[in-house]
Amino acid sequence: MIGSYPVQIEPMDVMHGYFEEKDVSWEPYIKKAVSDMLSAGIDVVSDGQTRDPFIQLFTRRLGGCRIRDRTEIMGNVEFTGSITVDDQRFVKQLLPRKKQLLGVLTGPFTLMKSSVDLFYHDEKKLCFDFAAALRKEAEELQKHVDMISIDEPFFSNELPEYAEELIGTITKQLSCPVRLHVCGDVARIVPRLVGMPVDILSHEFKASAHLLELFREYSASKKICLGSVRSDDARVESVEDIVAHIKKAQDIFGDHLVQIAPDCGQRLLPVQVAYQKLKHLVLAGEIINGR
Amino acid sequence: MFSFTKEQSVFEVSGVCFGGQPGMYPTVVFGGAFFKGEPDFEDAKKHLQTMLDLSKQTGTPAIPDFFIRKVEYIEPIIHFIDSVLPRKHPFSVDIIEPSLKVETLECLNKRKLLSRTIYNSIHIGITKEEKEALQNYTPAMAIIVAFNPKDKSPDGKIEVLENGAHLTDVGLLEISRKVGIENILVDSAALAPGENSGAALAAIPVIKEEYGLPTGCAIHNVVEKSRWLHDFPFAKKTVDVASNSGIPLFGGDYVIFGPLENAQLVIPLIAWQDILVSEYTENYFGVTPVASHPRRKLLK
Repeated sequence: MIGSYPVQIEPMDVMHGYFEEKDVSWEPYIKKAVSDMLSAGIDVVSDGQTRDPFIQLFTRRLGGCRIRDRTEIMGNVEFTGSITVDDQRFVKQLLPRKKQLLGVLTGPFTLMKSSVDLFYHDEKKLCFDFAAALRKEAEELQKHVDMISIDEPFFSNELPEYAEELIGTITKQLSCPVRLHVCGDVARIVPRLVGMPVDILSHEFKASAHLLELFREYSASKKICLGSVRSDDARVESVEDIVAHIKKAQDIFGDHLVQIAPDCGQRLLPVQVAYQKLKHLVLAGEIINGR
Repeated sequence: MFSFTKEQSVFEVSGVCFGGQPGMYPTVVFGGAFFKGEPDFEDAKKHLQTMLDLSKQTGTPAIPDFFIRKVEYIEPIIHFIDSVLPRKHPFSVDIIEPSLKVETLECLNKRKLLSRTIYNSIHIGITKEEKEALQNYTPAMAIIVAFNPKDKSPDGKIEVLENGAHLTDVGLLEISRKVGIENILVDSAALAPGENSGAALAAIPVIKEEYGLPTGCAIHNVVEKSRWLHDFPFAKKTVDVASNSGIPLFGGDYVIFGPLENAQLVIPLIAWQDILVSEYTENYFGVTPVASHPRRKLLK
């Protein structure tokens, strides 16, 4: 998985909890996301990021942020307590032994670019404070997950000169492998991406198939998570189509191709489509692995 | 005690005004009937009369809040409202299930009672059918419950009013205005102790400063949820009643105080609190209370 999965939240169920003075639990929604992933046969499972869009998921729990139409920065950005760890612990209980758990962090540059800064007036300083807070989350998270993925979609629009240092602030000496996911067209920044202080790179190789050739020159530099079904198109790719795509990537990356995944988070897809895409992805993987 | 820099809206339903700067209009109280489901009309009639008498005596406007929990109660409760409540007196209908809300709106329309109706409530659970019904049979006023399960702080309450916290397509204020309801009362959504219960009071000035809308809540629900108070049975009722005074003190415009029978305790308390607020806000901010205000009525 990349991160999000489209679970329908029922606000009336939530309101029943309010009126009947019961605790409102998010666990049924997380369970539904995980159950779909497991039923589709996914090996590296996320919590589905059902609670919130990927920006608010973090800024809601960080000091110095308040949520209006967008996140507004009102003071020093600070880690005030674990953000995703409780949900990951819950997911861990739901997973069979051979399945792996993915912790997902929204990257500091993306958090900065998605916020309205009313306090710092200094993009770099804000970014590094986000990174320091995410580092503390990562330190907690690594005790519970098998891999951490940092989601930095804004890098495809603008890669700051301090990007490597920024990501390194989070990843330095973590005990679990780290993946950097940058969706969008990363054609211009491939040489910089392969130098990032992470173990695996993840990109939208299905929607931007031309990226495969661009990575050929750097194919031995990094392990790759291959985007293999689109997240921006509700048409479900056939298993044959996905297999052909993976074979093309194998030709370029060889053993460095270590994961296949959706191109991006699946939040915006209808749930039946998202599920079907995961199923086809798994079937294609089984064919490739000779299972 | 304070005054807001944001201009404060004043909404009127059937002669009762909500809103304005603290100290201008009296705090409106809502007393609930038929909590238990099955309506006891004789009992309700008795307590209703007491509440209305106290309201007249003190100047504190009082509105009955009728709980409707089953479809078979809709007709008899609305008949009760139509026949027992003084003509033109406003009332609210307090319903959870969306399908019951739709049927009640149709019934209120048939009886020509919508101009006196306060709809309790609009919240994130609003359905398509409910929106259509509200568009077709628009009540004079609605309470919006600013409950945000993702964030129980004042900021979270603003978020759900503003954009629905990604649980509705647009914010609750926009939903209300789209269905044709301009006369909005915001309920700052009181929660249990341990769930940021104080935020319901703290949110009142935040919401009023942000939107200038009349705001209040059912703070007494927090007392209901304070289990430790069960060990203090003599104090529990006092705490329940006293909790309501926090609302006008925080600049709020209305109080949903629980069962009608508590009116005898709550109304004089709110009148007292309103006098306290008014004395200061007139002296310091120059806010003149309206002629019907308890300060004018009770302090000769």
